[in-house]
This record gives sequence, structure tokens and C-alpha cells, in this order.
Amino acid sequence: MKIIKFIVIIVFVILMAPGRAVAGGPFGPPQPIAKEAGGIHTGIGYWFHEDKYINGTEQVTRQNQIYSELGYGSRNGWEITARVGMSDLKLIDAFSSSTASTATSKMDFEEHGKFFSTVGAKGFYPFNKTFGMGAFIQGTYYFSDFTDNVSGNRNGVPFSVELAVKNLWDVNFGMGFQATVPYGIKMYIGPYVHYSELKVSPSADVAGIALASGETTMKNKTVLGGFAGIEVPLAKGFRLNLEGQYTERLSAGAAVLYVY
Amino acid sequence: MKAFSFPVLLFVFFAAGCAHSPDPAASLAPPVAPPQVQQVPVVSDSVQIPSPPPEMTVKSETKNADEYGDIEVSDKVSEEAKAEIADPLEPFNRAMYHFNDKLYFWLLKPVAQGYGKVVPKAARVGVSNFFANLAFPIRFVNCLLQANFEGAAAELGRFTVNTLWGVGGFLDPASSQDINLSKQDEDFGQTLGAYGIGQGFYINWPIFGPSSPRDTVGLVGDTLLRPFTYLNPWYAGTGTWTYDRVNDTSLNIGDYESLKGAAIDPYVAIRDAYVQYRLKKVNRKGGNIPAEDSGLPKK
Repeated sequence: MKIIKFIVIIVFVILMAPGRAVAGGPFGPPQPIAKEAGGIHTGIGYWFHEDKYINGTEQVTRQNQIYSELGYGSRNGWEITARVGMSDLKLIDAFSSSTASTATSKMDFEEHGKFFSTVGAKGFYPFNKTFGMGAFIQGTYYFSDFTDNVSGNRNGVPFSVELAVKNLWDVNFGMGFQATVPYGIKMYIGPYVHYSELKVSPSADVAGIALASGETTMKNKTVLGGFAGIEVPLAKGFRLNLEGQYTERLSAGAAVLYVY
Repeated sequence: MKAFSFPVLLFVFFAAGCAHSPDPAASLAPPVAPPQVQQVPVVSDSVQIPSPPPEMTVKSETKNADEYGDIEVSDKVSEEAKAEIADPLEPFNRAMYHFNDKLYFWLLKPVAQGYGKVVPKAARVGVSNFFANLAFPIRFVNCLLQANFEGAAAELGRFTVNTLWGVGGFLDPASSQDINLSKQDEDFGQTLGAYGIGQGFYINWPIFGPSSPRDTVGLVGDTLLRPFTYLNPWYAGTGTWTYDRVNDTSLNIGDYESLKGAAIDPYVAIRDAYVQYRLKKVNRKGGNIPAEDSGLPKK
């Protein structure tokens, strides 16, 4: 009971703390999904992700990721996981002008279908059959740049500029508390630290468009976040994992995993 | 294309024989075989040989006479099917057998052995799984053509599970105990056989090995459904096919040697094993043929 109270307090503090960040991809339950004797698991998943980056100006990003996952480990020990997937990227209001003299054809930066890879590792310590805690580290890197063009006019002079988002990556580490309830359902929750960077590179500078003013490296606004999720056994060795990471915005996703 | 396909189909029709069920009386009569025709005993369940193609003869023996001349019914009812195939091209086929034999021992086997030494078995099995998963359209379409809808559904399930949870097909979770979706080993040659088209005669193609007019046409159909056929440039597809063969060979080194070593005339043994194997595949709806029924000797 004390543990549950402790978890509730931690979650409350995390969710209520001002200025939180979101991270890329679910962390999963602290306990490895693998069989007790060890083995691999695979999975597919979808992740809706939002984040806020800052460097002079604030920029909200939105992504839809689909991925395939492969992991190896043992149930009461450790696990390493690798994911490969595709993601889109939207920078909301990236092309909106702050001056009346500049008009653009669209507001949002948007591109689809870029590959990313995520690697992660976790360790788990069971208190008893029901409760346990674990720690994890997970990082994501995007292999290629996201690019989008915007056209418009400034003081009646037409322009066209290409914006590239380069070297998008993040790293996350945290700890999770887990309770295994009847039917093998695992519920988990915990805090994590998140760091992410991206580089914005315009082909030309345009006055009034904040991101089109030289190459800029942006970092995520805040580093502390919280996550919670549930893992439910399905039929025939499959498991469903639902997870949410709530900060200023909600990131959430689902994965179906198969344990060999 | 039509001008090309018509003579091919005409050739297959004449070579393979008409698509009709054999006369039951004729089936039970002793086979009158031309000198080239070989007979291979096939032991199988009676229910699994419903209507053998024209060139196959099924013979049932359920009664035996004892030393006193009485008829006794054996407890274990055995059924013997004799699979036979004409071999009018035997000189050519024997030449191709020797060509393929040398190709195997002088090129394919050494390459496969070297590859096997460099690449761990788990990775080679993964590659084999990947190519098997890639050949899903062949099995799926042929299940449908044979009205094996259960098999088609199983294949679709296998493809989905293995592609999504089998890391693009490198793993085979669909065959696990939990999921238990077995591979439906179907091809166009079997589909033609299921429609009653006979094997015709024996052809031993260089590189491709034992075949028949029916299975040669089937091979063309299978090739059209194999995704890497459409790789561009053409040698990318050929290279992929070659790699698939080398990988498979690396996992089966010894099978051919066993068959050859156990036979007095390896050419005849391979021909008979091929005919027997194809007959079993045509008669069996869906699933793989167990190794003990494949006609290959046990290791």
C-alpha cells in the first residue's frame, strides 16, 4: 500500500510540475517482456509524439511514427531493444510570419516517411511477485533530413525557401514502477529525463519567419517527464502495450509484441 | 506473347495428356509400361490418393495367400501406389544429370560450404525464412486456384505475422506452437496436377534440375509470382535467386550426397524420388510433406 501511495505521489508531482518535455517512442514496462529463461521478442507499434523545442523561439513538433521492434533479454533481468521505423514531422506554424509585410503560402512545415532507429536497454528488479522497479535508457536517431518548401512574398517580392530539419535525435533515461495484476496485466508508471536536439537549416533568410534566419540548433524545452502504461497479454503469445507520456502535450501509442 | 503461349500450351497438352480421371479398372490392372517407364512404390494412406493422374498407377493389396492357400486379410492394410513417368529424353536427361551433378560438386557445394563457414546457421535460417516469406504470393495464389481457402487464409496469416512480428520474414513466429500456421507448400505445377493434368514425361533441365512439361509450365508461373523476378536490372533478380539457392544448399548439404550414395543408378533414383515427391505434393492438400515421405533417404 505504501508503494502505491509513493507511486501516486511521484506521478502527481511529475504531471503537475511546470514545463515538461515529451520523448520519442514508448519505454514499455520496466520488466522485460522476454521469457524467464531468456529469449527474443518482436513487435510493431504506432506512436503519436509531440514535443516543444526552443532556441529564441518556441517550436511545437508533431510526429506519427510506425516501427518494428526486436529485443533480447530475460524476464527478471535485463533487455536490449532495437527499433526501426518511419515517421513524419510537422512543425506547427513554422512558416507563419510575424510581420504583415511577409505572406506565406502555408503555415506548417510538413514531411512524411523518414527512417529512424531507436535502441534501448533496461534492467528490472522484482520486489515480489506483484511489484518491481526498473531503469532504462533509450535513444532515437533520424537517418535523413526532413525538408519542406514554402513560397510567398515579402513587400510584393515573391520568394521560395526550403527548410531542412537535420540531425533529429533524442536520448531518454528514467525509472519505472510496475504492478502485475491478475491475468498477467502489467501496469507501470515513472519519471524520466529527456534530451533532444534538432538543427533547422533554411536555404535563405526571410524576415518575419523565425526559422528562416540562419542555421539554428534547437533543444527540447524541458527535460523532466512522466510516463504510464499497461501491458496486456493477448492470445497465442502476443501482448498489447499501451503507453502515454504526458507533459505539456500528450504523446501516446500502442504496440503489439510477440514473445518467442 | 499469345503467339508464344499457344504453342507452349499445345505442347503441354500433348505432352502431359488429357485432364481426365483414370479408369478405375485400368488402375487396378498391372501396368503395361514401355521400356523407359520406371515404377516407384509409394506407400501412403488410401485417402490421400483420390485420383491419380493418368500416368500414375495405384495398386491395392489387402489380401495375402498363406502357405495353405487360404486367403488371409492382414491387420495392417497396406496400399501401394506406383508412380511412373515416361523418359523418352533419357540420353539428354542423363547428360543434364551429369552436368548438374558436376555443377553441384564443383561449384555450388564449395561455394555453399564456404558461405556456411562464414555465416552462422541462425542467420542462414533467417535468410531462408525471408525468401520463403517473399514467396508468399506463389503459395497464396495456388491455394486459391486449388480452392484451398483454408490454406490461403493460413498463408495470409503467416505472411502478416512473419512480416510484422518476424522482422520482415527473417523469423518465423507463425510456425511456433502458439500460432501454429503451417506453410502451404503449393505451386503452379501442383495446381495443374490438381486440375488433372499429368506430369507428361521426365525432363532434367540444366541448373533447374528434375522437372516435367507440367512442372516446367508451373515453374514459369511461379517465377512470375516471385517478387525478385521484377528486380531491375535483370541480373539483380538472377543474383538474388542464386544467393537463395546457395543459402538453401548450405542448409541442406548432404541430402543430395545421401540420395546419390544410396542408389545403384543415381539418375534413376533422383528421377523416381522426384516423381514420387511431386505425386505426394499433388495429392496432399496444403502443408508440407514430412521428410520421411519426401522420397529422400534418411541421414
